[in-house]
Amino acid sequence: MDSSKGINVDMRVRIGALELRNPVMTASGTFASGKEYADFVDLSRLGAVVTKGVSMKPWAGNASPRIAETASGMLNSIGLQNPGVEAFCAKDLPWLATQDVPVIVNVSGHSLAEYVAVAERLDSESAVDALEVNISCPNVDEGGMAFGTDCTSAADVTRAVRAVTSKTLIVKLSPNVTDVTEIARAVEAEGADAVSLINTLLGMAIDTDTWKPKLARSVGGLSGPAIKPVAVRMVWQVASAVSIPVVGMGGIMNAEDAVEFMLAGATAVAVGTANFVDPGATMRVVDGLEQYCRLRGLDRVSAMTGAVSR
Amino acid sequence: MTLPAETERKLLERVTVLANDRVTEGVGLLVLESPRVARVVRPGQFVHLRISTGTDFVLRRPFSIHRVEEDRLHILYQVLGTGTRALAEKRRGEEMDLIGPLGHGWHIPDGVAHALLVAGGLGAAPMGMLAEELSAAGVAVTVAQGAPCADRLVGRGVFDATARRVETATDDGSEGQRGFVTALVESLLVSDRPDIVYVCGPEPMARIVTAQAAAASVPCQVSLERLMACGIGACLSCVVTTRDGQRRACVDGPVFDAESVVWDTSEIPPKH
Repeated sequence: MDSSKGINVDMRVRIGALELRNPVMTASGTFASGKEYADFVDLSRLGAVVTKGVSMKPWAGNASPRIAETASGMLNSIGLQNPGVEAFCAKDLPWLATQDVPVIVNVSGHSLAEYVAVAERLDSESAVDALEVNISCPNVDEGGMAFGTDCTSAADVTRAVRAVTSKTLIVKLSPNVTDVTEIARAVEAEGADAVSLINTLLGMAIDTDTWKPKLARSVGGLSGPAIKPVAVRMVWQVASAVSIPVVGMGGIMNAEDAVEFMLAGATAVAVGTANFVDPGATMRVVDGLEQYCRLRGLDRVSAMTGAVSR
Repeated sequence: MTLPAETERKLLERVTVLANDRVTEGVGLLVLESPRVARVVRPGQFVHLRISTGTDFVLRRPFSIHRVEEDRLHILYQVLGTGTRALAEKRRGEEMDLIGPLGHGWHIPDGVAHALLVAGGLGAAPMGMLAEELSAAGVAVTVAQGAPCADRLVGRGVFDATARRVETATDDGSEGQRGFVTALVESLLVSDRPDIVYVCGPEPMARIVTAQAAAASVPCQVSLERLMACGIGACLSCVVTTRDGQRRACVDGPVFDAESVVWDTSEIPPKH
C-alpha cells in the first residue's frame, strides 16, 4: 500500500486478551485448519484463523449429500466431521503454530462434559490463543445448537468452559432463537470474553424431481449472501445488549459487507462461505477494509464499530 | 511464506472462452484459454470454475478436463442445473476464473500393457486425456462406451484416434450393442484380457464394473462425482466412504481405487 496517498490506518482490534492485527477472521468450518488455503492466502495477514470445530472424539459427520445450493447461498449439513482433539493437536496445530497468526479453535461437543474436556485439553497448548465455543451447530442431533437456543444451557456451557480455560473465550451464537440478546447476556454473565454470530440459519430445500430433501439429513444450515441482512440485524441487537466485543459474520463476500457488520457493532468479522467462492476472499476483505478507512479519512478501523446512526 | 513449485500448487487463473458449442442434446464442449493450468494438468484432474460473479448463485462448479490442446482446456459438460445452464450461455471472448489443477487423477502403474476404459454417458469427459496419455506411452487401449443413444456417445474423436478398439452400447440400439455397457465389459474382460480397468459414469454402472473387474482379478480405478463447495479440501462436502475411512473427492480423489470404495446406493446424482 502506498502510504503517501493518505493516512496510516490502525487496523488493530482487541478481542478479550487477544490483539488482532486486523479485524478479519475466518469462519469456522469454511477454512479447515488453514493449510488447504496456503496457496491462496498469506495466513500472517489474517486477523485470526478460526479452525474447523474440534470435538473430543473423532466425528464421522452426516450422510451425503451434505450441501445444496440455494438462491444467494448454500445449505450444509456436514455435521462437524473432525478427527478429534488429539489428532488436531498432533497434525494441524503444529503447522498453524508456524504461521504467525492468532489461532482460535472452535470447540464442539455432544454434551457439556465433552465441551469441557476439549477446552481442558486445549488449555495446555501454547499455540492456541483463544477458544470459540460452538453452541450453535444446527447439524448434530445431540449437543450443538441445543445448547445455544436456551439461556440456561448456554450459561451452563459457558460457565463450565470458563472454569477450565485461561484463554480468551468466545461463544458462537445461533440465530435460530426468538431473542438472541437474552442468550448473549447469559453467556456474558458467565464470563465469555466475546460473542460471535451468526451461525447458520436452519433451512431446507426439496428436489422437485425426486420429491426428496436435497440434503440427506433433510435440514441444514443456510449461509452466504442470502443471510446477511438477518446477521447484520442480530449483530446490531447484540452489540447494544452486551458490553463484550462482537465478532460479526453471515454472508460477508467483500470489504463493504465487513464495513456493514462493523457499523452494526462488530469489533471483528469473519469470512465464511466466501472462502469457497474465492479462496483468496479474506485477503481482499483485509485490503478493502484498509482502503475503505483511508478513503473515509479514518485513522483506525475500530472507529467504525457501532457507528451506525440511528 | 514459501510457496511450493507451480506444478504442485493450486492455481487461480483468469481464463477466456475460446469456444462453447453444443455437442448433442444437453451436452456442451467448452474450450478455455488457460495456459498455466494447461501446462501442468494431469489426466483425471479437474478445475473449479466460477461461472457467475453475481449473487444469484455463488458456488463454483467442478469440471474434469477432457483434453488439453496446447494452452487450451477442453471441457465436456452436461447441462443439468443452474450453473451448467449459465455456462451454456457463455460466448467466445467471455472471461471467468478457475482454480486448478485439482485432485488426484488417473494413475498409470508401471508395466501396464493393455487398458480398458469404460465410459458411461458423460463419464467419457475425464477419459480423453487418459486415452491419449496411455496411447502415447505405448499402452494398448480398448474403450467400452455406453449412452442412451448414438448421438450421446460423446468424446468419440479422441477415442477413435487413440484406441485400438472401441465398442459401444446404446439403450435404444441406435449404435453398437443394444443394452448396457456392462455387458460389453463382461466379454471384453475375457476377450481382450486388459491388465487395468478405468471407469467413469453413473454410479450404479461404475459399481457393477468394479465388481466385474474384481471378479476377473484386474485392478480398477474409478472417477467419482460429488457436490462440492470449496474444491480444495476444506468444506468436507464431497466425502466418499472408503475402506480406509472417509475421503474427500476433491483432494483424495476424484479417482479412487475402485475396490476401496464403499458404495452408497442412496446417493443422489449431483445436478450442477
